[in-house]
Amino acid sequence: MNKALTSLNTFFLILLFLSLIFSMFSIPKLNIDETQSIKVNFYELIQEDDILFDSSILNTTIKKETKKASVNDKKAEPSEAEILSKFKINKSDIKNEISKIKLSKEREDILRVSAIIQASISSIWIKPNSLSESLIAKVSINLAPSGEILNFDLIEPSSNNSFNESILTAMNKMTFLEEVSFLDRKLFEENFRNFNLVFKSSGEIE
Amino acid sequence: MRRLFMEPIGIFILAMLCQVYSCASNVSDSVERMQYASVAGEEYLLGDKLETNLDDKVYFDFDKSILDAEDKSLLEQYLPEIKKAKIVRLEGHCDERGTREYNLALGERRALEVRDFLVVKGVSGKKIRVVSFGEEKPLKSASNEKAWAENRRVEISLY
Amino acid sequence: MIKFFFMIVFLVSNHIFSILEIEILKGSDNLSKVAFVPFGIESGIEENYGIQISRNIEKNMLLFGEFENLAVNEMLSYPSSENDFYYRDWKVLGVDYSVIGKINSVNALGNLNISYSLFNINRRIKILEGEILGSEDNIEDISKIISNRIYEKITGLRGIFDTKLAYVVNSDANTYQMCISDIDGKNEQILFSSKAPIMSPDWSPDRKKIAYVSFENGLAEIFIQDLQSGERDSIQALGMTNSAPVWSPDGKSLALVVSFSGNPDIFLYSIRNKRLVRLTNHYGIDTEPSWSPDSKKIIFTSDRSGSPQLYEINTKSKRKKRLTRDGNYNARGRYFPDGKSIFFVHGNNGNFQIATKKLSSRYIETLTSTSLDESPTISPNGNIIIYATKDGSNGYLGGITLDGKARFSLPVKNGSVREPAWSPLLK
Repeated sequence: MNKALTSLNTFFLILLFLSLIFSMFSIPKLNIDETQSIKVNFYELIQEDDILFDSSILNTTIKKETKKASVNDKKAEPSEAEILSKFKINKSDIKNEISKIKLSKEREDILRVSAIIQASISSIWIKPNSLSESLIAKVSINLAPSGEILNFDLIEPSSNNSFNESILTAMNKMTFLEEVSFLDRKLFEENFRNFNLVFKSSGEIE
Repeated sequence: MRRLFMEPIGIFILAMLCQVYSCASNVSDSVERMQYASVAGEEYLLGDKLETNLDDKVYFDFDKSILDAEDKSLLEQYLPEIKKAKIVRLEGHCDERGTREYNLALGERRALEVRDFLVVKGVSGKKIRVVSFGEEKPLKSASNEKAWAENRRVEISLY
Repeated sequence: MIKFFFMIVFLVSNHIFSILEIEILKGSDNLSKVAFVPFGIESGIEENYGIQISRNIEKNMLLFGEFENLAVNEMLSYPSSENDFYYRDWKVLGVDYSVIGKINSVNALGNLNISYSLFNINRRIKILEGEILGSEDNIEDISKIISNRIYEKITGLRGIFDTKLAYVVNSDANTYQMCISDIDGKNEQILFSSKAPIMSPDWSPDRKKIAYVSFENGLAEIFIQDLQSGERDSIQALGMTNSAPVWSPDGKSLALVVSFSGNPDIFLYSIRNKRLVRLTNHYGIDTEPSWSPDSKKIIFTSDRSGSPQLYEINTKSKRKKRLTRDGNYNARGRYFPDGKSIFFVHGNNGNFQIATKKLSSRYIETLTSTSLDESPTISPNGNIIIYATKDGSNGYLGGITLDGKARFSLPVKNGSVREPAWSPLLK
């Protein structure tokens, strides 16, 4: 009896382990360029999609189609099952596709706005000359939905004073980041309400 | 087994090579010191320069100090005159390309290449004076292939 | 704007408290715009002093193309004290920094008290304030001191407006002159004039002497000339040719090249006891030595691999290391003041250009675009390189800032100018 229990225990443990591994692989994957790395909260997305599917037109169209099939030909019952299974596969596919589209749309927006912010700050940041050391400084920014810079703070200054000064000067020059005002509000709150700028000097002569 | 046998022989050969090399460098150093004594005074410049109707320049390739067959035949035509002269002055030059100090060394290389050839042909090394001007005294001041080719030269003057 | 090519790296973490991070790697190609307001004057002082001093500072600051200026007639106001200074007057004109000042008379002997301030317009703060006592005769020197302080405050680098430049002028085929001048080309002094070539000037670290090569006795010899007395001393080293002298950072010895029978090698020459110590021993050409700032290593050119390449030798252990591998001509290397990078002459498809390389990487970066560039020399603050180049048969001096934003050429002299050597800072 004990033996049976322990073996059951180990069996469950293995099952748990396998399911963990399986769940890891079953998470939808994003194709992202080498230069861009993105991580997104997948749980949230999947849940949202489920809600979307429950009330979605897709589901109703599936039902309608199956009804039509049954009305037209009674002999076609096995084929109905086939169609259903087909739809099942399609459903999960579509789910993935939609989440992908949603993701890529969001990602695109974030990338686009970030690139614009990056370019506009690059265009006014006068980097101190010939810094031979590599330096990093981090600035945190608070934005209003209109794009106005409410507040900024050099949260992680570099060891080089003139590098820090140049960043503060550039940040003072910047008053508006207009681009964010065109963003979806939710996206703004999630990403651009509060974000960080990381100023880097590789120490290379350019 | 064979490797074990070969190793000591290899070491022995290496040791011999080292010895030969160090001897050679010692010798050349002492020779140079001797020559320096004669180079320092440029008293011969006061004497008359011997005029010859032969081309008195040998030309080189870029960043090279090797005499080609043409140069050698020119020097051979020159040999009787050189043997008659009391002092032979060899002046090495480079074109303007490359760095000045490196060219100074390169000009010296070129002049020495000519000297070595003359010594092999029986001219006494004692009467040969070598000097390099690097790229400081170009014949042609233009910056083109033709001018450069004319500037990469060793000038021979006899006294 | 095409230059704004950059890599974008975003991190959107999957944690709940994730924060978007945007990396900024590239700075602007624009220069900081500085307004040099004519200095105010106390009544009783000659009026043009105020304009003169601000113009001198402006000239100095613009010398190497590192800043942009605002023309005096475009200014909205001419404040001379902080009370009259309004940031918005300058902000609307796109000014980044403003320099104002005032000259006060101390006594009737012409002694002046000059006060000055520097404002960061974007940050709306005063970042520098100072006072200098001087006289009417040395307005130029005072301007240099103020320029240095402003430059240091804005860039975080040492000011270099009181440094000097040594160079060789070849005015005609048989006249060679060893000259020095202020870095802006003023106050030229001829140290030595000869019918035979002069080469390779190098400043002693205390800025009191210059070592150079002269052919006046028919062969290459090294001389040391005292700038104050003008006295010249030749180094009686052995060998046929002595060349390429460079002072050690402590000023006690020279690294130089002695050639025994056409075999140039690097030697160390101690100035006090006149002893020569061999550093390299190779049948190839070893030349163009230069000390690392910590004086532990010497960089030199050698053709031991078949083409001129740069090597580094430890002066104590005599261990050698090859520094350049790409290209078939890398010569006359010098260290940056921080000792982490080198600059040198890089031959590339028949062009000879000034290039830099980090000691830690293999990548060679070409700085200049003309084809016969040589003899680069770096400013003591490590920000500017001046080099010799050619326009037709005439040599002139060009310059470039290391961020590549500014190129300039120095005023043309009568004759061919070559082999610039930037003096160290005054200690």
